[in-house]
Amino acid sequence: MAWQSSLLAQMWKQYTSGLSERGGPNLLRRAALQGLFVAGLAYLATCLGSTPAVAQVNSRQDILVIAHPGVTSRRLDRDTLRALFAMRQRTWPDGNAAQVFVLPNDSPTHAAFAKEWLSVYPHQLQLAWDRMVFSGTGQAPHRVRTQRQMVAAVSSTPGAIGYINREYLDESVQVINVE
Amino acid sequence: MKASKSSMWSSAAGCILAAAISALGVSPSMATDTNALNSLQLHGFLSQAYIVTDHNNFYGSSSDGNGSWDYTELGFNASLRPTKNLLIAAQALSRRAGKDDDGSPTLDYGIIDWQMLSTADQTFGIQLGRFKNPLGFYNQTRDVAFTRPSILLPQSIYFDRTRSVAMSGDGVSLYHEARLDNGGLLHSQFGVGRSQAGDDAESSLGLDGLPGSLEGDLSVIGQVRYEHDGGRIVLAVSAASVHEKYESPGDFPGDGEFTFQPLVLSAQYNAERWSLTGEYALRRVETSGFNAFDDISQTGESWYVQYTRRFLDDWQWLVRYDTLVHNRNDPNGHKYEAAGLGPAYSQYADDLTFGVQWTPHPNVMLSGEYHHVDGTGWLSLQDNPDASQTEQIWNMWLMQLSLRF
Repeated sequence: MAWQSSLLAQMWKQYTSGLSERGGPNLLRRAALQGLFVAGLAYLATCLGSTPAVAQVNSRQDILVIAHPGVTSRRLDRDTLRALFAMRQRTWPDGNAAQVFVLPNDSPTHAAFAKEWLSVYPHQLQLAWDRMVFSGTGQAPHRVRTQRQMVAAVSSTPGAIGYINREYLDESVQVINVE
Repeated sequence: MKASKSSMWSSAAGCILAAAISALGVSPSMATDTNALNSLQLHGFLSQAYIVTDHNNFYGSSSDGNGSWDYTELGFNASLRPTKNLLIAAQALSRRAGKDDDGSPTLDYGIIDWQMLSTADQTFGIQLGRFKNPLGFYNQTRDVAFTRPSILLPQSIYFDRTRSVAMSGDGVSLYHEARLDNGGLLHSQFGVGRSQAGDDAESSLGLDGLPGSLEGDLSVIGQVRYEHDGGRIVLAVSAASVHEKYESPGDFPGDGEFTFQPLVLSAQYNAERWSLTGEYALRRVETSGFNAFDDISQTGESWYVQYTRRFLDDWQWLVRYDTLVHNRNDPNGHKYEAAGLGPAYSQYADDLTFGVQWTPHPNVMLSGEYHHVDGTGWLSLQDNPDASQTEQIWNMWLMQLSLRF
């Protein structure tokens, strides 16, 4: 981290020394400073952006998409699944209202489901929900705390969709095939 | 003054909403009665900031040595899905922000959204009522701390001087969402409605204290947003043409018109642990017709680049460079100063920001940030009425606690 902080310090020095000269009509210098600063930021972004590989607790095969037994759509494509969980699409392909259930953001199953099945990160999902809820363009998904509650909620709510680890599956819900 | 201007529209929108809700709620023949009530969702947020500046006032008397607590946001919303295609939603907002906003509650939005088409490939819907303007990435939820990367949004684009003007419209908005073959998502929205007019716009135009008042007029807004690969890359173009009318009881300053035409280009890259965001805006401002002053037409330019990094599960830090000029033909403000209108540095602002957010619980967030600012281009005129008392280079520290449910 040492070289990164010294880089930052250097950028800061450049930046503040530029300010003191700002009295004159030194447009070119100002533009150059801004350019340098942004380039520095972008460089830092790429350096710090590389993340260490994290061991996967859940692989895609371990997680199942489940629905209320009354749902007639037995399969979904990936885009529709993503639209449903992003709360952008409000109905099943068969036209019935969808009720979306999710686990807490910090649940490993939720994180794996978002990444493996939806190809989005949990923080993106949360932001998408917040933006809908607080701009009047949509509703938030229903929250359940545990996978047992997920099965109970999905099996008792018409139009429900959710996800669980395979080991929690029982006959009260149906599994949805995702292509 | 502000209340009287917006109350007619808020009460009209409120009546429509109340009528719609009661009609849906009391009709015994509706088979979806129980579903409608089951679908009721209530959400809200509260945030309180503490602000200290070494020079200049930001949201209250922040530079007096004791800091300012005058930045509070409180919101409460309800939404209902009476049928599978209908969504009814409304939010009340109370915002205190120095002298710009006194906390009196307003109807932030109130809409009936009818999603008339929803297939595997596309969605099409219409919104009636007061809708939030989709301007850039953040305008629609600009008052909700949990949707902001920092306590203050990049002020070059989301500053308060044109806040009420850019905020929302009372009218009709159409939206369309297409899922493309490459997995991308194309979201388009187009709205026509009457803009809001607040004291902030009057003050920015130098009309505060004069006898007339600014009224919203017919305005249009549109946004096209493309999301690639589940939002890994997001690109957007937003444009609006907001019109307001000034009605003067006498010949001074005379009737006039005010036009605000922002164009915003937005881009974001999202990785698991970091995001890089940039937005560029051209802001064209025109006044015409006033007896008391010449017509003004100028184009301002704003942009920022922002890097956010998530760490330790519930922490995030941010660095941002944000810059604004009010007039592209006078970026350093020299002509402005030479004309005797005020200090040159009031015509631009360069803001370097470092911030950190901690979310120990999904509904609780603590944030802190530091701004190093050159220029007073987006400083509140109402909190700093005397330009000669302002300083060119200033520093600002903010802390904020935010809650939501």
